[in-house]
Amino acid sequence: MCQCCSEKKDIYLPQLATVVKADDMNVTEKYLQLTMDDGQFDYAPGQFVEVSVAGIGEAPITITSSPTQSGGFELVIRKIGNVTNAVHTLTPGDKLGIRGPLGDGQYPVEEAKGKNLVFICGGIGLVPQRSFINYVLDNRSDYGEVVILQGTKCYDQRLFTDEIAEWEKRDDVQMLETLDEPDDRWNGNVGVVTTLISKITTELKSAVALICGPPIMYKFVLMALEEHEVSHESIFLNLERKMKCGVGKCGHCQINDVYCCMDGPVFRYSDLATMPEAI
Amino acid sequence: MSKPKIAIFDFACCEGCQLQFVNLEEELLDLLSVADVVEWREAMSEQNDEYDIAIIEGSITRLEDEERLMLIRSRAKVLIALGACATIGGVNKLKNNFDDLDEVKKCVYGKDAKKPHLATQPTKSVGEVVDVDFCIHGCPIDRKEFTYIVRCLVMGKTPEIPDYPICVECKANGNPCLWDYEQVCLGPIIRAGCGARCPSNGFRCFGCRGYVDNPNVEAAKDVIDKYDLNLDDLKTKMILFGSRQEPTIYG
Amino acid sequence: MSVKKLTKDDFAKFVEALIAKENVIGVQAKGDRFDYAPLEAAADLRLDYDVTLQPPKKFFLPPRETLMTFEIGGAYTSEHDDETFVLLGVHPYDMIAINQMDELFQQDNYDTHYMKRRNNATIIACDVMTPSANVFASSMKTAVVKSGYDVLLTDIGDDYVAEAGTEKGEALLAGVAEADAAALESRQAVWAKNEKSLNKHELECDAHYLPKLLDRAYDHAVWEEIAKTCFSCGSCNQVCPTCYCFNVQDDVNWDLKTGQRDRAWDGCLLDGFTKVAGDHEFRNQRADRFRHRLYRKAKYVPAKIGGQIACVGCGRCVGACLPDIANPISVYNRLIDDLGIG
Repeated sequence: MCQCCSEKKDIYLPQLATVVKADDMNVTEKYLQLTMDDGQFDYAPGQFVEVSVAGIGEAPITITSSPTQSGGFELVIRKIGNVTNAVHTLTPGDKLGIRGPLGDGQYPVEEAKGKNLVFICGGIGLVPQRSFINYVLDNRSDYGEVVILQGTKCYDQRLFTDEIAEWEKRDDVQMLETLDEPDDRWNGNVGVVTTLISKITTELKSAVALICGPPIMYKFVLMALEEHEVSHESIFLNLERKMKCGVGKCGHCQINDVYCCMDGPVFRYSDLATMPEAI
Repeated sequence: MSKPKIAIFDFACCEGCQLQFVNLEEELLDLLSVADVVEWREAMSEQNDEYDIAIIEGSITRLEDEERLMLIRSRAKVLIALGACATIGGVNKLKNNFDDLDEVKKCVYGKDAKKPHLATQPTKSVGEVVDVDFCIHGCPIDRKEFTYIVRCLVMGKTPEIPDYPICVECKANGNPCLWDYEQVCLGPIIRAGCGARCPSNGFRCFGCRGYVDNPNVEAAKDVIDKYDLNLDDLKTKMILFGSRQEPTIYG
Repeated sequence: MSVKKLTKDDFAKFVEALIAKENVIGVQAKGDRFDYAPLEAAADLRLDYDVTLQPPKKFFLPPRETLMTFEIGGAYTSEHDDETFVLLGVHPYDMIAINQMDELFQQDNYDTHYMKRRNNATIIACDVMTPSANVFASSMKTAVVKSGYDVLLTDIGDDYVAEAGTEKGEALLAGVAEADAAALESRQAVWAKNEKSLNKHELECDAHYLPKLLDRAYDHAVWEEIAKTCFSCGSCNQVCPTCYCFNVQDDVNWDLKTGQRDRAWDGCLLDGFTKVAGDHEFRNQRADRFRHRLYRKAKYVPAKIGGQIACVGCGRCVGACLPDIANPISVYNRLIDDLGIG
């Protein structure tokens, strides 16, 4: 009889969390605030959790809150598959399974100190980035200038509009937003997120750029950053892959030799040079 | 959660897939604990026009059947094609291999061929007439897969229906490849989900579950050469369930 | 650890005694092939087999297993297999595959489901007597195994040499006579022969050079060329002793309140392996999937396990691949021919 296994925890076993708050942000996005029932949850910006709905399955979701905030942690979940559909039916008090926090590839919290930061977000790419944005804003004096670029497809898909409005008001943040397919409710910038890059007043060359958005967006953003001579070591990208186990075993999220769940989901661009499957 | 109402309809088929429901035996009672069957000609006399889930067995071979199917579609929230006749046209599509359907009728029915109820048109799968939400493949269907799909639907979940070939399940069962025993098995291009039932019992895969979404037909032709067979040998094996299915080796 | 010797008659008695007290799974005939199956009598054991249809990985990572049960809205409960068993007749290349899997399932995050079965197993390995049609263990340096087993058997004619590899193995062999110098010499001869002769497909370079070769081969035309006839059927994955990718699926019982979470073998060659919700598929080309498997075997996994090549030369994929394209040796040799060594 094997003793060692009984002493080790089951890496696939979710722990229960309770839904504290559940809001529909729009037709497809649900905001959840959760607390772990055992009270234990220490995470870093960029980490994700495997959200488990019993009977339905698991889905990897990046944490959107900052560890500097109190009162559990927050997720924003797009309705796109079985698990996320089920999550959309949750209301406060409901239980949800959580594994994590997972992922050693996190935002460069320490390394970026003293430097200018440019967050480039496409659509729900804002969700993971928000964790580091709020971390930086809660430790404002540790970092240089902060630029946030947000590109969204249409007006109704805009997320965290209150927070964006607050960031716009701050004089220590340059917040730029654009819509790809605007309607008459919008009188701001029009076009994809890359069109905002030329409007940045911060010196880009020495900045740290953080990118998260749909796969198609990366190529164009990287091309634009190349023009501004941002070094590949200073660019961080959040990559999405199919994940099942989240702990480096099942093989689904592999990008060449790298497990997105273990070494990601945030990657340094220069590290992707040996990973042709990455972008 | 109120129980979803299920209605079961049959078109051109042998009703063998519905028979698999009856063969569920005790599990049929479990099924009835999560769903109400409101119409099922094979097992009950009531009829009902109100249902959430319509299960369609059989293929569509007459104009009036197309109209009836469209009416069912308009009433159902979810429509399921049940069994090979419904999902891919199945055996009924054999006749589509002939240009002159009158000749086919004469051959099958002889002097009765002209009788009006034998009017026919080229066979269509259910999906060729209306939108299908889910396919339960096979001839007959696999009971385990069927009950899994029913549980998924009542849970509000899209079932995971394999899009990989039979070989996956066949190898997992520890079978040697039937090609090594001179059988032209269709496993490499046919959708899994049956647990490789036929090859695991020594019979080649006949292809009743239809092709995977992206079958490598070119590779099949290569293999035919390797085993010193010709394309006709492969066509002969595929004709039973693979007639006029896309992509096809006939083109 | 001690090295013992038993006559074949005594070995049969040893096996019968083992069957009497343990759940023994041994290699037996299955039609005109061989596979592992519960062993009922020593006479059914076929240590002269060439290769088993399935590798022994299924005893540690079953094709389908339940990881946990749950109650909806309630807690999840781990499920583990607790039974002890003896695996009898594991060939060196398969033993080396198990050693690699042990490392992979323990590193970073310890997989209790795999490891519980592994720790509950007693492995009696045996040297190859009959090379299979496609074995290339000599090329992969896996024809002889030095660790991982509890007991290693070598058929030296009238006798078996039995070496204990662990305390568990030592206990099994308690009371068996020590091997004499002649027996050890005969065993050495078997090893020397196997190190050369288990080589139906010969790799044209030292296996340890493969990661470097692949560093230069990513954009080679061979991937497109060969994958044209790939069925994406995953047969190569399924029969591979070192493939361990898996899928995870939930199902509920008819009460719709309780259920289970299972894991089942998956394969990187299969269409949809990298498809996310919303239908974007990251590795959607056959050629990319074909390349991924051969890179995993000779570059990606080796980087995780100290340089060991994760193809052990069992040759099962060669036999399982209908279009005859899975043979790693033919692909690696083609690359060597085109790109040269170093």
